[in-house]
Amino acid sequence: MREPGTLRLFKRGPSIEVRLVMLLVLCLGMAVTDAHWSVLGPVRSALSMVLYPFQRVVLAPRDALEYFDSWSQAAALARDEQEALRRQRIEMAQLSTHAAQLAAENEQLRRLLNVSESIAQQSVAVEVFYVPSNAFSHRLIFNKGSRAGIAPGMPVIDEGGVVGQIVRVTPFTSEAALLIDDQVSIPVQVLRNGLRLIAFGGNEVGKLEVRYLSANVDVRPGDVLVTSGIGGLFPAGLSVGRVEKVDRDPGTGFAMAIAEPLSHPERYRHFLVLRVDVADVPRPEEIEHALDEQ
Amino acid sequence: MPSTSNSNRHPGGSSLMDLQPVDAGAFRRAASGWLVWGSLVLVWMASLLPWRLWQPVPDVLLLLLLYWCLNAPARVGLTTAFVFGLLMDVQDAGLLGLHALCYVLAAYGVLRLSHRLRHFNAWLQTFQVFPVIVAACMLSSLLGAWLNGAWEGWEWLWSALFTGALWPLPDILMSLHPRRLGGDGAGPV
Repeated sequence: MREPGTLRLFKRGPSIEVRLVMLLVLCLGMAVTDAHWSVLGPVRSALSMVLYPFQRVVLAPRDALEYFDSWSQAAALARDEQEALRRQRIEMAQLSTHAAQLAAENEQLRRLLNVSESIAQQSVAVEVFYVPSNAFSHRLIFNKGSRAGIAPGMPVIDEGGVVGQIVRVTPFTSEAALLIDDQVSIPVQVLRNGLRLIAFGGNEVGKLEVRYLSANVDVRPGDVLVTSGIGGLFPAGLSVGRVEKVDRDPGTGFAMAIAEPLSHPERYRHFLVLRVDVADVPRPEEIEHALDEQ
Repeated sequence: MPSTSNSNRHPGGSSLMDLQPVDAGAFRRAASGWLVWGSLVLVWMASLLPWRLWQPVPDVLLLLLLYWCLNAPARVGLTTAFVFGLLMDVQDAGLLGLHALCYVLAAYGVLRLSHRLRHFNAWLQTFQVFPVIVAACMLSSLLGAWLNGAWEGWEWLWSALFTGALWPLPDILMSLHPRRLGGDGAGPV
């Protein structure tokens, strides 16, 4: 006896070639669409909602192991951390009094200049859920999503500085592109002389690039790049990277600086997502439209 | 595992029913749905784990999909390959459709070759499945390179070669199963 459904005297449905062509067209169409437009966002979001419970189940043993591990080493960890913190506190004490003094002075000067006072950012602490296996991009998936108030465009920081930017969210997870991902560009400023530049994810793996500098630009190896606050997404003053070398190309008349990120997303599991007001920032399409009208 | 078919023997039947076929190969039972879908879901869930971060690891999900395309074509076909490919695309946060394209092409290759492949044992099938897997992975990574504007390197080739080399593995594992599996719907009726 055969199972019902496995005995087929006549082929039903379209032939295998027809199905192949249909599915291939679908695959190609989706890949091309996904590469150029964001209309497939809801599809991806829906599929990742389906994936989410399975991911949680599969990763549960790892989480449990990590929990147990950190619990069993809690005393040693706490002692180490306490020692480090004590040392840091002494180092910071001096700096912080200085900083407080400067902040007070700065506020006073801002009031004198009628500049609106800077507001402390609201933030969400997130943990790495998993690292997607993808050779093209440098991404992290976090364990909180739009339910926690995260939206695409928000910056992600760690104690070293800017780590990256949120690019996609689902209700329970969010995807961040790291600084070194070539889709990320970030407005920066040279700390030493205030020169405003834009840093991109580099061709060289793990590095940042500052492209299209004029050949005589005043950027030197060792310069620290911080966010300039221009563009509205990244608050000003977060450290981004340190310049390693400046390539001057006499042929084109342009120079390019290679910088190393100061944040270390590969070392930590916990990050902070800054809840900047993404709605206020004009979208690229709007800017293009405005430029076209001009 | 629930029993999916009746016993072949009829105790009170005619003497003809007691005869045993000389070669039972053609009458081997089809793979049960529980086994097919259970193994696919299990391997798919294993693919969600971080071991795939090292790019050249074999794609065991693709391997199992192709195995079932050959051995249970009534259950697993192009559409199944497409759906699992799409899920892997979402998991890897890559372009939608790249994994799906690779899986669909490879599944088609195996389905087209299935009549031929059934004449060989698993070790000899390996040599015929190799080019199918490599070609499918190559087309998918060429499309990815074109759309991403960058060549991701040759890790995909290693992955495809390792996947191909593992071809006899599901066959060996399934032969350990107490009820031997045969071609689904392939034997004479």
